Amino acid sequence: MTRILGVDIGGTFTDFVSYDAETGSIETWKNLTTPSEPIEGVLEGLRRIADLGEIGKIRLGTTIATNALLTRKGAKIAYVTTEGFRDVLFIQRANRRSHYDIGWIKPRPLVSRADCHEIPERLSAKGETVTPLDEAAVRALAERIRADGTIEAVAVCTLFSYIDPRHEARIRDILAEELPGLPVSTSYEVLPKWKEYERASTTVADAYLKPVVSDNLRRMKARLDALGVGARVGVIKSNGGEATLDGAAESPVQMTLSGPTGAVVATRALSEITGIRRLVTFDMGGTSTDCSTVVDGAEHVTTDFEIEWGVPIQIPMIDIHTIGAGGGSIAWIDKGGMLRMGPQSAGADPGPACCGLGGTEATVTDANVVLGRIDPANFLGGAMALDAEAAARAVAAVAGPLGMEPDAAALAMVQIANNNMLGALRAVLLQRGLDPRDFTLLASGGAGPVHLADLMEIAGIPAGLVPNHPGQFSAFGFIMTDGRVDRHRTVQQISKFFDAARATEAMTELSRGAAAELLAQGYSDRIAIHRSIEARYLGQNHELELSYPSDAFDEASVADLWARFHVEHEARFGFSIPGETIETVNLKAVAVAVSKKPALPLLPEAAGPAAPRGRRRVRFEEGWIDTPVHDRAALRAGHVLTGPAVIEEDASVTLLKPGQTLSVDRFGHLHVKS
Amino acid sequence: MKFSGNRFYIESYTKCANCGTLVYDDSPEDKARKVVADGATYCSQWCVDWAHEREARRAAAPKT
Amino acid sequence: MDFVTMNILESTMVSICREMGITLMKTSYSTIFNEALDFTCGLADLNGDMIAVADYCPAQIGGMPLLVKSCLKEIPASELEDGDVILHNDPYRGGLHTPEHTFFKPIFVSGELVGYAVAIGHIAEVGGMAPGGFCGEATEIFQEGLRVPPVKIKKRGEDNIEVWKLLLANVRTPRVNYGDLRALIAAVDLGEKGMRGVYEKYGLETVRRNVSDLLLYSERRMRAEIEALPDGIYPFSDIIESDGIDAERHYPIEVEVHVRGGEIVVDYTGSAPQAAGPINATLGVATSAAYNAVLHMTDASIPRNSGCFRPIRVVAPPGTIVNVDFPAPSVGGNTETHPRLVGAILGAMAPVAPDRVMAAEGATHCNFVFGGVDAETQEFFACYDLEGVGWGGRSFADGNDGVDSINGNCRITPVEVYETRFPWRIESLAFNVDSGGAGAHRGGLGYTKQMLCLNDVIVCSQMTDRHLFAPWGLAGGGEGGCGATLVQNAGRDDWRTMPEVYGKASTSRYSNVAIKRGDRVRLVTPGGGGYGDPAERSPEAVARDVREGYVSAAAAQRHYGYDEGGK
Repeated sequence: MTRILGVDIGGTFTDFVSYDAETGSIETWKNLTTPSEPIEGVLEGLRRIADLGEIGKIRLGTTIATNALLTRKGAKIAYVTTEGFRDVLFIQRANRRSHYDIGWIKPRPLVSRADCHEIPERLSAKGETVTPLDEAAVRALAERIRADGTIEAVAVCTLFSYIDPRHEARIRDILAEELPGLPVSTSYEVLPKWKEYERASTTVADAYLKPVVSDNLRRMKARLDALGVGARVGVIKSNGGEATLDGAAESPVQMTLSGPTGAVVATRALSEITGIRRLVTFDMGGTSTDCSTVVDGAEHVTTDFEIEWGVPIQIPMIDIHTIGAGGGSIAWIDKGGMLRMGPQSAGADPGPACCGLGGTEATVTDANVVLGRIDPANFLGGAMALDAEAAARAVAAVAGPLGMEPDAAALAMVQIANNNMLGALRAVLLQRGLDPRDFTLLASGGAGPVHLADLMEIAGIPAGLVPNHPGQFSAFGFIMTDGRVDRHRTVQQISKFFDAARATEAMTELSRGAAAELLAQGYSDRIAIHRSIEARYLGQNHELELSYPSDAFDEASVADLWARFHVEHEARFGFSIPGETIETVNLKAVAVAVSKKPALPLLPEAAGPAAPRGRRRVRFEEGWIDTPVHDRAALRAGHVLTGPAVIEEDASVTLLKPGQTLSVDRFGHLHVKS
Repeated sequence: MKFSGNRFYIESYTKCANCGTLVYDDSPEDKARKVVADGATYCSQWCVDWAHEREARRAAAPKT
Repeated sequence: MDFVTMNILESTMVSICREMGITLMKTSYSTIFNEALDFTCGLADLNGDMIAVADYCPAQIGGMPLLVKSCLKEIPASELEDGDVILHNDPYRGGLHTPEHTFFKPIFVSGELVGYAVAIGHIAEVGGMAPGGFCGEATEIFQEGLRVPPVKIKKRGEDNIEVWKLLLANVRTPRVNYGDLRALIAAVDLGEKGMRGVYEKYGLETVRRNVSDLLLYSERRMRAEIEALPDGIYPFSDIIESDGIDAERHYPIEVEVHVRGGEIVVDYTGSAPQAAGPINATLGVATSAAYNAVLHMTDASIPRNSGCFRPIRVVAPPGTIVNVDFPAPSVGGNTETHPRLVGAILGAMAPVAPDRVMAAEGATHCNFVFGGVDAETQEFFACYDLEGVGWGGRSFADGNDGVDSINGNCRITPVEVYETRFPWRIESLAFNVDSGGAGAHRGGLGYTKQMLCLNDVIVCSQMTDRHLFAPWGLAGGGEGGCGATLVQNAGRDDWRTMPEVYGKASTSRYSNVAIKRGDRVRLVTPGGGGYGDPAERSPEAVARDVREGYVSAAAAQRHYGYDEGGK
């Protein structure tokens, strides 16, 4: 029972990373995903392990929920709300995706308006009963749903339920009595926070996912149980924590962003190992790139996720900013003669021109081949030979109309693609008040390390890091995941009339609830609770998050909280308003069961300078340079390289620009300095 | 646009009789382009011509 | 042109503008900023030309170039110093209406002035005769709030305290205004800092050359788009209802769109003389509306900057409803008349660009404003609130239901936030069934918000439109539903209009109505016009609309020959 297995079920590949605590060894492998039945790809990979009894834990990153949302293949659900407000889901916030777009079509919610129902009941903004719940109306509605016969789940969201859930809970109980077995999601249980549209949209998503996710997970569990490992399986949640298979089926909206969180968890672990306090991740694949941050050992959590523009899911998720730019992004020339990259992507099919799978348009990968940055003979460790001539042809077709030499055009393509990705880095750094100069850029994904050097330069990030297994980095993160439960709730109060008892009661409920959920999932020891408060100046609408040490609020701790708020506001926005009334909005408690982290294997010390495997011509901004090519597997701890250089490994290539240096640490991580 | 001697306030507002743009007395740029025609101030010759063309076109159009 | 550097600079500058907006959104106090996002952030060059802008409020985007240029005519560059921040809201000097406050900050690099960071935001409470800025019965600018000529609110990095005191003494909610003004300053500070970094990184000359090329590039793209339209003169007219002063009088707007090669001239000559009440557009609004309409009809990927506007010329005769003269009022021009002008331009172009226009949208922001003293906290509150309307049908799709009108892109305030902040209870928020104009592609639906007053008194004003003249259809499409504002006084069953209850001249524009505890107000927003002959609407679409409750069975039968029993 000494093995931990991380499994990331992606769209094309299922990645496996296995860690054996006894030997300290790490193994990685991958096989194709079976999109129609993802468990098949998992089972195939498991065959590599002779004795499944060795496995202490399997952690799965899954796209079941993500895909059901994106392709809109969830359940047919009913929505129940306060009388007068069924159209909240359809009016939404009345804004539109972008300006000047006469063709825009407003997004539809995940439920048909015909299946939205109103119940007489109403609480005031203070939680008093304005209209008592009409229980007969709820029973009549249950009868309608029964008669209809097509409804697979129900979402309930009533006004001000975040203050007091009594009406929602009663509606849930009546529906359970009348319609046993029909899944019901209530907004208080899914997201007890104010703003009815966002809360309703999130609750609807949860109900929409319940039948499909629980069905999938049940099938998965049956197959894994047959192998005797079902009980040892955890599913990765959007907050980077794990849930049991049953827990995941109960609250599927928590699984919206499962797989990509692994890369951030892995980054957090690397931060601990390497002592680098501020890391920004850059996980670049074929069609998209994910960016996120780890600051002082903590990932950034957001509640601003949207399935598509205007359809929010506000549960706590690791804040991963995704842009549709990757190795497959296609070059094109706009009507004004400007070169642009993407967002159209050649994806895996037909793929970049150099892959010879039928693609003819020039992509970022083709440009990298033309620039000599990717060796066509040694792509994916030589597993897939690339067609350099096809890449050159595709790039020449772009260069012609621009009046540029092919290599200059290829360089421009890479520069523009890098600049698009810079937008994602800005979104996670500058837009959150973080200074790129304090950060280290961590490149992962098959396409990440080749762009690392350029991105460091244009983003003004002085240091870079290429981890081990950059191509299976998310699965690698899963072997280091902690149990984690996030509980949030809106408890709106102002500093002038702050009710410490009310805050204490709410925080206690949150922290106990979060810890209890972890215990229920089987975590028993090393549970830590992190509490925080979101607050703002009264009148503002966006909050600053301040950590808070305990469940209890008293005069001194509250005074300290206000003082820290002013300081934090000044630091974040450049001004503060001393003496101003402060409003607390949300209380948060995060329970973390810290898992035992693997001791990573060490690399032997270097005995002499690194010897390149060969040399080739690589195009940099300065021109073509004869550049040494190193094999990553041959590098040893303590090796130092000076740019220009190329470092090749199975799943990726790291490029070092002239003037940059690279050093190898004792774990084999590549550290780049400008 | 004419300001008081001390520039504390606006004494009178001047707009082009055709396009309505503000014409500032003490802007060298505005002064250079401005045209006075038919007893009215225009920001530029273009506006004088445009107003004449429009008048002619509307006079020629059949009354509906 | 160095397209690569230009592309990179462009997206960097837009990112800076977006970051300015995020700061504004996160630190401002009014719901109109932080929920509705009624603001815009941009960057300007030395001439006052807009060189980059983030997608916030379209009405302000088109107004930005004129605003900055007008200020620079009064405060010459030689009088600007590092750390100054200029504030301005004057409708007669390039402004849009009194609530719209423009902040701009000069950017100095090594002691040399190189450009400006600009933020324009809607301040909810500006003084004047009615709380919340939108007094539907104003007859002079002086009733529409404090008018601010270009003044330095900060000098060399220090607050100009006298200006602050003057500003805050003239509004009902100084605490909130202070927070909003500080947020706007934080935004221009951030823009100035970001842009200074860009100049330092790339060098003055490189940025100047590329910015100038960028404007040229946008101009070239815009000319190419216009050239693709057939030359000609395309007229259209519409009519705006009562100005709030004279119930019987209505105001025609006339538009001629001249397409000549790569240029467009929008000529409003023939539009009504300016109104006594506050529905007049300023020159800035009339210009912005023309830009807005053209941007809606052309490729959205063209980088948005002053270059886009070079091929567009606007003729807005002074003293008319499209270009108000001092001292007539203008607060409704920016919100109500602007979208009507855009609609008229789209209507004019419909015969030659049918796939780039829509039938009339609701074209009002509803602008229900109110204020009072909270019975519990004893603090003065004021709120500017807006609502969505139905979009017009299009040749390829139905109109969107319940969306902010075309010159804004504001969000409505959640019920739970609204009731926490203000002493109202919202009793319902529901689509107006059948308010979308019939057509092959129907218009979008307006909706109704019903509110109950929970304070002793809340003083309410409104500036809305389309109570009398329904949104028009195109290509045979039918009219959308009209809007309405109704009151049910405590203890009565009937719903009545403002003229009926309070003796106001207009149902849609009025000021300072004392709504009392237990009174109800119902705000009904207009739908959009339909596009194309209703007979061509697909039976499946008709059946779906009936099933989902967007169209009643009776209306479906009337317009589309729907048969409930059959298919």
